Amino acid sequence: MRVLRSQFFWQAVVVGTLVWLGYVLASNIEANLAKSNIKLSFDFLSGQAGFDISESLLSVSSESSYASVILAGVINTVTLAICCIIGATVIGVLMGILRSSGHYLGERVAAFYIEITRNLPKLLILLALYLAMVTALPVVRESWSLFDVIHISNRAVYFPIIAQGAGLYWLFLMVALWPVALVLLGRVAARAQDKTGKRFPVFWPVTAGALLLIAAPALLGLAPYTLSWPELKGFDFAGGGRISVQFCVLVLALSIYHGGQVAELVRGAIQSVPVGQFEAAKASGLSFGQMTRLVILPQAIRAAVPSMGNQYLNITKNTSIGLAVGYSDLVSVMTTSINQTFRPIELMTVSMCVYLGICLIVSWLVNVYNARVMAVRA
Amino acid sequence: MKVRFVLPAAFAVLAGLSTQVQAGPVMDQIKTDDSLVCLVNTNSPGFSVPDSQGVYQGFNTDFCRMAAAAILGDANKADIRGIGFSDSMKTIVAEGAHIASRSITRTGTRDANPGMRFVATTFYDGQGFMIPKKLGVASAADLNGATVCAEEGSTTLLNIADWFGDRGIEYRVENIADKSARLQAFFSGKCDVMASDRTALSSDRLLAENPGDYTILPEVISNEPLTILSRPDASLETAIYWAFQVMLNAEAMGITSENVDAIMADLENQPKGIVRLLSAESAAGEMAQQIGLPADWSYQVIKQVGNYAEVYERHLGTETTFGMDRSGTVNALSKDGGLLYPDPIR
Repeated sequence: MRVLRSQFFWQAVVVGTLVWLGYVLASNIEANLAKSNIKLSFDFLSGQAGFDISESLLSVSSESSYASVILAGVINTVTLAICCIIGATVIGVLMGILRSSGHYLGERVAAFYIEITRNLPKLLILLALYLAMVTALPVVRESWSLFDVIHISNRAVYFPIIAQGAGLYWLFLMVALWPVALVLLGRVAARAQDKTGKRFPVFWPVTAGALLLIAAPALLGLAPYTLSWPELKGFDFAGGGRISVQFCVLVLALSIYHGGQVAELVRGAIQSVPVGQFEAAKASGLSFGQMTRLVILPQAIRAAVPSMGNQYLNITKNTSIGLAVGYSDLVSVMTTSINQTFRPIELMTVSMCVYLGICLIVSWLVNVYNARVMAVRA
Repeated sequence: MKVRFVLPAAFAVLAGLSTQVQAGPVMDQIKTDDSLVCLVNTNSPGFSVPDSQGVYQGFNTDFCRMAAAAILGDANKADIRGIGFSDSMKTIVAEGAHIASRSITRTGTRDANPGMRFVATTFYDGQGFMIPKKLGVASAADLNGATVCAEEGSTTLLNIADWFGDRGIEYRVENIADKSARLQAFFSGKCDVMASDRTALSSDRLLAENPGDYTILPEVISNEPLTILSRPDASLETAIYWAFQVMLNAEAMGITSENVDAIMADLENQPKGIVRLLSAESAAGEMAQQIGLPADWSYQVIKQVGNYAEVYERHLGTETTFGMDRSGTVNALSKDGGLLYPDPIR
């Protein structure tokens, strides 16, 4: 009981100190702002931003408000983070498996890759890749064209897209329903397996059904898909879709950089699986692929998930180096806004809250997943 | 390689705001430290670039030296530090430096900030466009659909948005923070056009493999008065403003760093204007007393830094790689049709 009480005392002291420090900081800022005639206000967010950004999934222009330009920056940051997380995971898991595969050449190649990427600053990797791509790829008027469908230049990759209309919405609907159908039918299949011991196939029938439904309206002539093709007009391609080179370079650079760190996590996780599991899998006649997929990875994932979550948070925050190469992420939009409005405290508060929000969501998702894989063990 | 670290900057600003702002302590601090911290561009040929010893040299740096010569009597007491554009103003507001001579455009909203003062415009610039000659564009009005490279975070972004928007011309922007990435993007054709201050363009053009392949379009789309920035402090602002006027007056009167010693030795036989400019017993001395400067401040500025023309010709003029002819431009003295108007020292 005494132990508990003294613990409580020190905890109270720590909390008290933190609250006091926070109060001192806040009152200090407030007093000095008042002295310098600066009032904290977020009213400027509804004002016209007056600058354009390089790319956005929203349609923003220089006439949009600061709030909507910042939102476009947030969406760009999130898009980039998602792509980098996928890229780093794929590269990292493959390299991690290779690193602990026992294959001489494979292990050396993976070790080389990991040591290089872990020991170089990410900004250097980014700038080197950017300069290489911008120099090596052709200018837009001399783009490499793949069957006149996809055009690659040092400005962007251009490709045809489905033009807006009923067809596009039907496509979105089907693509959204496809995983839902997979999950639902998967449950039915699992229940059937419990009862009868036999499992009927789920993935291929559902996918085939989805594809058929996607194609149906066009085949029946109800809602034809109209394609918008990129066409070289004047200085640039018009129509179609485009992915900028800086976005590709960022995804590549951050995936490669973080892939090295993920690979080491994966290797550690694989090594945490008891040797008996490998031996048992081999003794059962499983191939290397089967062993990895069915026996080792499911167990290794548990060890890897918490530190992978950490990596994902790092990736999310590291997307902010995008402004170096002209990707309009949150930090880039914020920097320009600060220089125009000179409201650093408000804008940095906004972006810190956004980053905190994004990272808390990532963290929550990882924790949910972690709870799921932990439950499997029980 | 300049990346803006958001958090340190935030803390710098917070730290700055949580210390006292008083009237006039900056000048005292400079004298106590016997050193004047001055911010310049990290890599801007002609304006400020580190030489082989790592010491910044250039047009902008000379105004740091001017301030140190006037206040401390020794131009070498300027502690010149390179810094990225958007951090420079934050650093001044956060009281991390005394002045900035960094090609910063004086604008209304920036000047309204109580944490900094724009003091003396050293160079009148304007924003323009650079384009590869092979595109065959003669006027910026023909740029419909073009991709424009510009520095991240600068007024350039707003000026091009206004200019293209007013004319209903479609364009795309590539706002790249890293300078080498930006230049490479332009030189390898990722952008069609580069937008920046026209002097910056002519200095950037020299970095191309073949500068002759690029041309600067005739349109000037903005006014860019590049101005020395100082911490708010009445005596510091007065000292910098008048040290700059000394350089303009010296040019108008034909006094240079070469002949100033001879003129000083024979001061009683000089015209009255020169006496007022240089003599400790005349206007210059009176000002020194009131502002709190060394009695020979005007002499030190001219002797150690030179007059305005000397500084211009040393770094930007026709004898340099930039070859920017000053005659007939807005940066000439008012008597030669420019905007630089020497205020009377009397």
